[in-house]
Formats: sequence, structure tokens, C-alpha cells
Amino acid sequence: MLHSLVWFIPLLPLLAAAWIGLCMIFGWHTGDRGERMVARSASLPMLAALLLLLLLDVEGLSGSTPGQQVFGTWLASGDYRILISFTLDALSLSLATLIALISLVTLRFSVNYMHREVGFQRFFMLLSLFCSAMLLLVLAGNSVLTFVGWEVAGVCSYLLIGYAYDRPRAILNATRVFVTNRIGDAGFILGISLSFLWVGSVEWPQLALYSVEIAPLYKGLIGMGFLIAALVKSAQLPFSPWISHALEGPTPSSALFYGSLMVHAGVYLTIRLEPLLIQLQPLLILLGLLGLLTALYGWLVGLVQSDIKSALIFSTIAQVGLMFLECASGWFDLAAWHLVLHAIWRSYQFLHAPALLQLVDGPGRRTPAWLRSRSRVYGAATQRFWLDSIADWLLLLPTRSLAQDLQDFDQRVVTRMVGLPDQAGHLNSLARWEARRQGQGVDREVGRGRGMAGRLLAWLATLLYWFEEHLVLQGAGEGLRQTLDLIGGYLKQAEDLLSEPRYLLLLIMLTFVVIV
Amino acid sequence: MGILTALLLVPLFGAALIWAMPSDSARMIRGIALVTGLLTLATAWSLLWGFDPGVAGIQFAEAHRWNPRMGTSFTLGIDGFSLPMVLLATLLCFVAILASGSIGQPTRIYYLLLLVLEAAMLGVFTAQDWALFYLFWELTLIPLFFLIDRWGGANRHGAALNFFLYTMGGSVFLLISLLILFDILPGHSFAMTDFMEGAATLPERTQLLIFLGFLIGFGVKMPIFPIHGWLPLAHVEAPSPVSILLSGILLKMGSYGLLRVSGMLPDAVMALQGVLIALALISLIYGGLLAWRQSDLKAMIAYSSVSHMGVVLVGIAALNVAGLTGAVMQMVAHGLVAGALFLLIGLMYERTHTRDINDYSSLVRVTPRFAVLTTLAFVAMVGLPGTVGFIAELHALIGGFERWGWLTLLLGVGMMISAAYAIRTVGRLFTGPVRARMRNIPDLYRSEMVAASVLTAGIVLLGLFPALALRLVAGSVTRFSAMFGV
Repeated sequence: MLHSLVWFIPLLPLLAAAWIGLCMIFGWHTGDRGERMVARSASLPMLAALLLLLLLDVEGLSGSTPGQQVFGTWLASGDYRILISFTLDALSLSLATLIALISLVTLRFSVNYMHREVGFQRFFMLLSLFCSAMLLLVLAGNSVLTFVGWEVAGVCSYLLIGYAYDRPRAILNATRVFVTNRIGDAGFILGISLSFLWVGSVEWPQLALYSVEIAPLYKGLIGMGFLIAALVKSAQLPFSPWISHALEGPTPSSALFYGSLMVHAGVYLTIRLEPLLIQLQPLLILLGLLGLLTALYGWLVGLVQSDIKSALIFSTIAQVGLMFLECASGWFDLAAWHLVLHAIWRSYQFLHAPALLQLVDGPGRRTPAWLRSRSRVYGAATQRFWLDSIADWLLLLPTRSLAQDLQDFDQRVVTRMVGLPDQAGHLNSLARWEARRQGQGVDREVGRGRGMAGRLLAWLATLLYWFEEHLVLQGAGEGLRQTLDLIGGYLKQAEDLLSEPRYLLLLIMLTFVVIV
Repeated sequence: MGILTALLLVPLFGAALIWAMPSDSARMIRGIALVTGLLTLATAWSLLWGFDPGVAGIQFAEAHRWNPRMGTSFTLGIDGFSLPMVLLATLLCFVAILASGSIGQPTRIYYLLLLVLEAAMLGVFTAQDWALFYLFWELTLIPLFFLIDRWGGANRHGAALNFFLYTMGGSVFLLISLLILFDILPGHSFAMTDFMEGAATLPERTQLLIFLGFLIGFGVKMPIFPIHGWLPLAHVEAPSPVSILLSGILLKMGSYGLLRVSGMLPDAVMALQGVLIALALISLIYGGLLAWRQSDLKAMIAYSSVSHMGVVLVGIAALNVAGLTGAVMQMVAHGLVAGALFLLIGLMYERTHTRDINDYSSLVRVTPRFAVLTTLAFVAMVGLPGTVGFIAELHALIGGFERWGWLTLLLGVGMMISAAYAIRTVGRLFTGPVRARMRNIPDLYRSEMVAASVLTAGIVLLGLFPALALRLVAGSVTRFSAMFGV
């Protein structure tokens, strides 16, 4: 009975976000009094969601978990159907409860932390939206709905990193994080479409059930798509660098997104795919390797960080790396426990960090002596193993120069062929604009075209004009008249001659001759 | 006396009345002309009540014996092809009379000739006897010659003579073909129905020769490349109201005649279909390119007429329902569009005394009413959806595509060229820097506004509700195309 209300859980924070959005648009609840209203309208639905989840938990603990719940069809096209379904098993229920709890705590914390900040309402709207997305992510019964939560969470992350959108640095970082995350989205979409193609369903239980029957290669490809998504979202190597860019946003959001919740979404996805992944040993080995490397990377880089948030975030990805290692070793349950405990602990640390900075005087933790003595490793760690620069060099620079080349091609070839005005010199100064307004520098001649098509048109028109002038108008029109004039002249002469008496006589005589 | 005879007599009666007036009562004469135009208009449009679109054949038929020994008779009647032309002709004549407010002396003769011209044109469209048709056909020449020669522009004498020689030259071929047919056919009658029955049974070779004669005769009027030489001169030199009639209705007489003859000589048309489409497409692109090159506004519209009558010929050459519907619709569309454009440009010429497009600039600020109506006419010329031009070109395009496939792509090229010069002209006329000379131009006056709005309203109305016109022609078109088995 209770589990038929499960769709309320992601919906409540979503409604809260929509309500706060409306307040923003119409300018309701501004100022200090408004802050309380906004905080309340964000927290109360969250609390309701948490209570609902706790009731579901009690139901699950006392009996058995409800399992897959289907509420209808979202969209259907041909053989493809996407259901509105929720998976209510131990994993998703416990994680959802965790998410609701941490979100509620963070919301409460933010009320004071964000007090009188510009964009207070915006922050709470995004936070509520994010909570809704995360709840949908873990509760969803199929990969498409999970992906919806996955993407909305990503968008919220982008918007909160760019929270202070007047700082160019924040915008740059937000964009970088968002673009890096698209790699994972591509993997996710690959996984979804391949499971449609080869499994015929995107429901999690069906995927687990039927994946046994399909060819190993297909299995591997589906698993690879989802694992790429998981690795990117959880900031594992080689995608790790994005997470350090993501710390630009306000601290509560950093805690929620990168300390505790969103960074674990990849681990959740891996655990969710357990039945599929245990059939794919090579992939698991690779995953374990990457997890281990990330743990090492996070540990080393974390040691040399001088600010508290960076140190925390690198130790976070080190822990998440360990979780992946656990999954790869087959201990998925352990990974789930690790996830929950780590999330709670890390959010506590993150939320405490600002207060801690106030309390502690003097320099922060020093880098251990053994690391300082090894200058190469130390240097590499301070440079975060040059991962950012490598990514720039491999992807960013070639893309940028290719774009530049295409722009040049467009300007030099396409624009000229089409005959568009030159973009580079187009009205770039007031003087030019004024000149144009007075009609200078504008080609006003009729019958002249620009660009290839225009030139062809002009050439053809000139040719035909010559033809028209010389043959049709003068040749036929004038010519006809002239010929008629000429003939008329001759006839008149003949007429004149005939009217003279001697020719008349001659004509009469001729007639007689003919008759005779 | 049937209603069609009355339709012919009303303008003639008006002309006679004007003849009787003293020549110094200019206002009175104009009043009579206006009332006559309006009466003719009302008579023609009242035909719509009795006209049954479901009947494919001739309606309102009336026949009087004329000269039994020659086989001629005074037979009138209309069908789905001629009714739209009659309606268009009376409308444009009325607009032309409205637009003649500033015509030079002697106005008495001018209005008299205009009304005689109207009667002759209506006669062409309603005649059901080839002798009568030819009579009216030639009768249009005389008033037109004098209208151009007396009230035209600087080069009017040359233009009038050129026009007269060209069309007379064409008429000779028309007459020869008619006489040959009359001679061959056993019935010794000029009635269209008799011709129709007899001619279709002739051998293809004979049909071909006769049809070629008709093609030249009607082709000059239409005009078809390369016998369009009279058109640019005549349109440019004629006074604006006469230009309206010239391009609005006179050209349609050519295509109307061609349609009638095509029904009469089906074998010849089928054999010459390729020639017709080639001529059509050449006219279409040739006229468009030359229009694009003109800086004289009237010359530009004149050449665009060559281009747009090419669309009509494409429709006729397709010989299927869509194509023929497109041809008739394009005749209507071009009548309205070219009429509106010649009217508006003529009115502007009266104010600025220049027809060179380079002299115009930023008129939208000075004369907004003029700008709106002209732009509307121009976009209809391009065939923008929502205007009657679109309906016509779409039908012609579909019909042409059904018959000729990808060759019809050239029709699209022609439309693009027409877009090039139409948009260019709109841009030059209405936008750009403000010039001192263009600053004090009065906008359209009320009577001018009425005349121009009637035409543009027709353009938009038929563009939005094409069924009004399509219903009229449907019956005749279906019967006609059934003759060709498509």
C-alpha cells in the first residue's frame, strides 16, 4: 500500500524547487523574512520525503522489500517502451534514505551559511532540484529514469559551480566540469541504447536477468558504456581532474555534490549492475586497476594540498577509488557499506571545514617529510600529475585549432562563394555604420550579384540582355519596321511611276498586247 | 437578350454616352466611365450566382444567326476557363478607370477607347464562335494602339507601332489557321463546338501545322520567348492604367486562346508538349533574368510578366489537372499582381517622375501605405504562401512534376530569380538612407487606396481561401485533362 506512494519521494523536492522558482520569477518572499519561508518550503518537502522513506524502510525491514514497482508507460515507440518504474530493494531504499537525510541536514546548514547571500532563493531551488534528481537516480527502476536523475544532477552541479556567475573563473570551471561529464553521458547513452538493442529492455531487473543470455561481446559493450559513465561521475582516473574544478561553488553544495552524494553515483551504478558485471571479469579487473590508481593518486595529491577543501576532495576520490576496487574484487556489499559510511563522514567534514578554518590558527597540515624528500613525486603531486594539461593538449588544443581552421575556411571560401558581406570588417566601427547609413560603400548598381550564384546570375543576365537588345528589340522590332519602311518606299515609288500618264498608257498598251 | 450580351453592351453603351458628351465636361465624363465600369463589374460578378461549377460545359449560352452563308453566328457562353477571366477583366478595367484620374486631355476619347477596349476583351473571353473571337481579338488592337500612341511616354509612337505590327503579324497566322480549319471541316461553320468535333479527327500532321499557326498567333500575345519583343516597349511607354490592362488581361487573352485551341487539337498538343515546356521554361528564366537586370521599374515588371506567363505555359504543357489548374490560377494571380504593381508604380511615377530604381530610397518612412501594398504585391509575385501566387505556382509545380519530373526544378530556379529581383526592389524602394528628393512625397489618396486595396485584398483572399477560385475552374479543368487521358 505504502509503496504505491513512492513516486512522491522525488516529486516533493521537485515541487519545492518549482515553487521557489515561481517565487524567484514573481519576486515573492524576498529579504530576511522571505529567507525563512524559502528555507521552510525547501526543508518541509524534504522532511516529508524522508519520513515516507523511513516508513518504507520499516515496511521493508519487517517483511520484505517491495521490489520493482511499475506505474505506467512514459513513452512507447514501436517495440521500445519506457516505463515509469521504481526499484525498491535494499540498496536503493537505504541509499535514498541516506540521500534524504544528508540533504535535509545540508539544507538546514545552508540556511545560516547562505544568510543574506545574493541568490539565496536560487541556491535553495537548485539544491531542492538536485535532491529530487538524486532520489530519482537511486529509486528509478530503469536506466532511462536513472539517466534523467543523472543529468538533472549534472545540470544542478553546473549551475551551482557557476553560482557566482559574475566571476569569470567560476564560469570557466563550471563549463569545464560540465563538458567533462558529457563523456560519461555518452557512455550512459551508449549503455541505454545497446541494452534496448540487445536486451530489449532497460528495466534494471530485466537487464540483470537477460544479460546472461546475450553474447559476451554485447555484454561487454553494455557494461563498458555504463562503467565509463560511472567512472566519470565518480571522478576516477583518467577523468579525475574535473572534481577539483568543481569546488568553485558554495561549501554546502560542494559537501552535498562532491563530498557525499553525487560523487558516489558512479559506485551506485556499479553496484546496481552487479549481476551484469560479475560476468565480465576483464572489465572488472580494469575497473579495479583504475580504482586502485585513483586511490593512490588521490592520496598522493591530497597530501600536498594546502587548502582544506582540496585536501578533502582528493581524499574523497581516493576513498571512492577504494570502493571501485572493492566492487572489482566482488565485494559489492562491502562497497555499499563503505559508500554509506563514507558519505556521512565526508559530508560532516565538508560542512565543518569553514568553521574549522575559523577555529584553527597558523599554517595547515605540513606535507610529510618522506614525500618532500622525493622531489619528483612531490613535484608530480603538486602538479596533480599534469592531468589537466594532458587533457588540454590532447583534446582542447586540437579542437580549438580545428575550429579556427574551419572559421578561416568559412570566411575565406564559403562567405565569398555565397557572397555574404565580410564578417570581419562588418560594421565594426561607428564610422562605418554612419557611412552605411548615408548610403556610402553600398553597391547600388542593379544587375550585379555577389558570390558565385550572384556572379553567374549577373553573367547570364548580361548575356541575355545583349541578345534581347540586339536580336529581339532591334533585330525584330526595329528591323521589322525598317523593312516595312523600305518596302513601303519602293511601293510608293512604283505607285508614283504608275500614276504618270506615260506609264499608264504603257500599261494599257501592254494589257492589249496580252489580250491580243 | 442574354446576360452575356448585356455584359458586352454595357461598356459599349457607356462609350456611346461619353461620345455624346461635350468634351469640356471632364468630371461628368469620368463619372460616366466610373459608373459604367462599376455596372459592368456588377453584371459580371452577378454571373457567379447562376454559374454551376459542377457543369463542365458552356453555360449562359446564347446564339444568334449572323451570317449563315459564311457559317458565322453570334454565340456567347462561358465555362470554368472563361469565367475567372471575365471577372478579372471587369475588376481590372474598373481599377484602371479609377487610376485614370490624372490622364492627359482629351479625356473624352480616352475613356471612350478604354470602354471599347473592355467590351472587346470581354468579347474575346465569352465568344463561342471563332469568327466572333477573331473579330473581338482584332478589335482590342485599335483602342490599344491609340491609347499608347496618344497618351504614352516619350517613345510612345515607336512603341505603339511596334505593338501593332507584332500583334498584327501574329494575328495573320491565327487567321490563316482558322481559315484552313474552316476550309477542311465539312460543317462550314465557325462555331467552337463544330471546330471541336471536327478538328480532333484530323490527321496529326495537319493538326500540327494548324496548331503551329495558333501557337504563333497566341504566343505573340502571351508572350512566349522569342516573340515577346513588343512587350517591354509597350508596357514601359503605355500610360499606367493601360499597362494594368495590358499585362493584367491582354496577356491572358493569349494563354486563354492557347487553352481553347489545345482542347481542339489534342494530337498536336501531345506531339508538341516537349516544345511547349521548353518554350515555357526558357521564357520563365529568360524573363526573370532580364527583369533582374532592369533598373527601370516598369521594364522590370514587364519582363517579370514574360517570366510569369512562362509558369502559365508550364501548366498548360503539363496537360494534367494540377497543371491546368495552376495555369488558370496563375493567370488570375498574375492579373492581380501585375495589375497592382503597375498601378502602384504608376502612382509613384506621377509623384516622383522617375522610374529608375536607383532614385528611390527609404519610402517606408514617407509613404507607409504605399510601402505595405507594394510589398504585398511583390511577395505575391514571388509566390509567398498566403498569397494567390503561391497557390498558382504550387499547382503548376505539382502538375509539371507529375509530367516532367526533375525538369520542373527549373521552375524553382525561376521562382528564385523572381525572389531575387522582387526582394531587391522592395529593399531599394523602401529601405536605405533618407534622400532629400524622397522626403516630401504624398502617400496614397483615398481613391488610389481603394483601387490598390481591392487588388491586394484579392491577392490575399485567394491566397488564404483558394477554394473560392479552384471550385470555379475544377469542372472545366477535369473535363479538359480527361481529353488527354491524364
